[in-house]
Amino acid sequence: MDPLDLEKLNALLEHDVGVSEKIKEQVKEFDKKVRIIVGILGKIHSTPTTSMPALLDSVSPVLLSCRDITTSIAGAIPPDQFWRWKDMWSNSIRAAVFAAALIEYLRDGSLLSLPRASEILGIQEEWKDRFSLPVEDYLHGLISMVNELSRYVVNAVTLGNYEEPMRISNFVKDIFSGFTMLNLKNDSLRRRFDSLKYDLKKIEEVVYDVSLRKLVVVKPFQ
Amino acid sequence: MTRDSVLAVFEQFREDIDQGNDRRERLIKASRDVTNISKKAIFLLHRIVLEDSPDDRALARRAAASGREKLSEAHAIFAAMRPELVGDRFWRYHRQVSPGVQEYIEALSFAHYVEHDALISYQQVQDTIGDADGPFFPLTLSDYLLGLSDLTGELMRFAISNIARRGGRPKANQVCAFVRGCKSDFEAFVPHVRDLSKKQSVTANSLEKIEAAAYAVAVRGSEYDLPPEMLDDLVAQTTSKFSLTDGLRRDRDEGYIEMHE
Repeated sequence: MDPLDLEKLNALLEHDVGVSEKIKEQVKEFDKKVRIIVGILGKIHSTPTTSMPALLDSVSPVLLSCRDITTSIAGAIPPDQFWRWKDMWSNSIRAAVFAAALIEYLRDGSLLSLPRASEILGIQEEWKDRFSLPVEDYLHGLISMVNELSRYVVNAVTLGNYEEPMRISNFVKDIFSGFTMLNLKNDSLRRRFDSLKYDLKKIEEVVYDVSLRKLVVVKPFQ
Repeated sequence: MTRDSVLAVFEQFREDIDQGNDRRERLIKASRDVTNISKKAIFLLHRIVLEDSPDDRALARRAAASGREKLSEAHAIFAAMRPELVGDRFWRYHRQVSPGVQEYIEALSFAHYVEHDALISYQQVQDTIGDADGPFFPLTLSDYLLGLSDLTGELMRFAISNIARRGGRPKANQVCAFVRGCKSDFEAFVPHVRDLSKKQSVTANSLEKIEAAAYAVAVRGSEYDLPPEMLDDLVAQTTSKFSLTDGLRRDRDEGYIEMHE
């Protein structure tokens, strides 16, 4: 190989290694934050409704601090190279979406939209070719939330919150019918979606239990 | 969010996902077409360089020109891929495009070597994947290196058939030295380029075959002071012996198996 060409290739390679290292560093921080968040959210299973807002408020600052991370990563990525590097932080960002969506549900009973999720993570429109929240990662986050809610539904009843199963059941059914509209290819998203029906079943069983024992008044379907 | 608004949002997602999947499929197909064309170009080159000719230089030029002409079909496909790979899309679909690009580089670098006895540079390859308006899409370092790595397998065939060809032995020795150079140049990139280490071991194999053939020529030629025509017969024996051992160590011998596909 021509020595000049060899040098040029080496320079290209060095540059890539530099980018990758910068991202790696940030992803490590991202992971730390996400673990803290998920750790705090683990307490929802033992938190009565009245103390829930306080618990959720304690997570928010950590979640919002993820903006620093996304800003740093976006800054490290060369133009148009988002998809080249995104696998490095897929897991972290999915976990962050999961947390944000769970908080949104517990606070307002509503579904966190993708634009809102991007906003919470501080993702800017002008980063589009360097950092964005792809539909796929957002959907992974939602599935994790449904997984978590299927556990929460049991514990809510244990804590005496008999209304919760109905709310969760309706909420999760909406999300499920949304997923059924998608043409997913045989990838991890598809496999995780396939497992959602077990969560649905578990939630339905809890609904059945509480309504059968008249622990909750079921309004006739309108 | 009401159920209807949830469904409306997911309908948008469906469109996004479908669009991505359809584009991916189109690119896989285009990549396959490029692979096909490139393979044909390589066969064409092998055929022409072995023709009998009084002027080897002219033959090499004609072979390279024919190979490049075949590859212009790939050029047209690359041009059509441009809008599918614009901006951040390139890296999104890189994995689908890579196989075709690598095969194309293998063919192009083979034509280049036949004509110039040299390795085609990164920039030269990138220049062929584009037009007056610039590149159709960026050439990645890993595609460039992996494509060149496949070239060594073609050169092995080229060298061995040259040994059997009247008057082709100096050429075979030259190819041998060249492949050796490639192997050592690529070594430094191995830790940074995925799959390169696998290809390096295939290169090592090819190199070994060329060396063994060159050895046969040197040793037996010197010992008995044979006339060149008899040497040609001897070498034909050596190469056929190689296909015997190939059956026994198939796992190490990707390069050889490919030849018989």
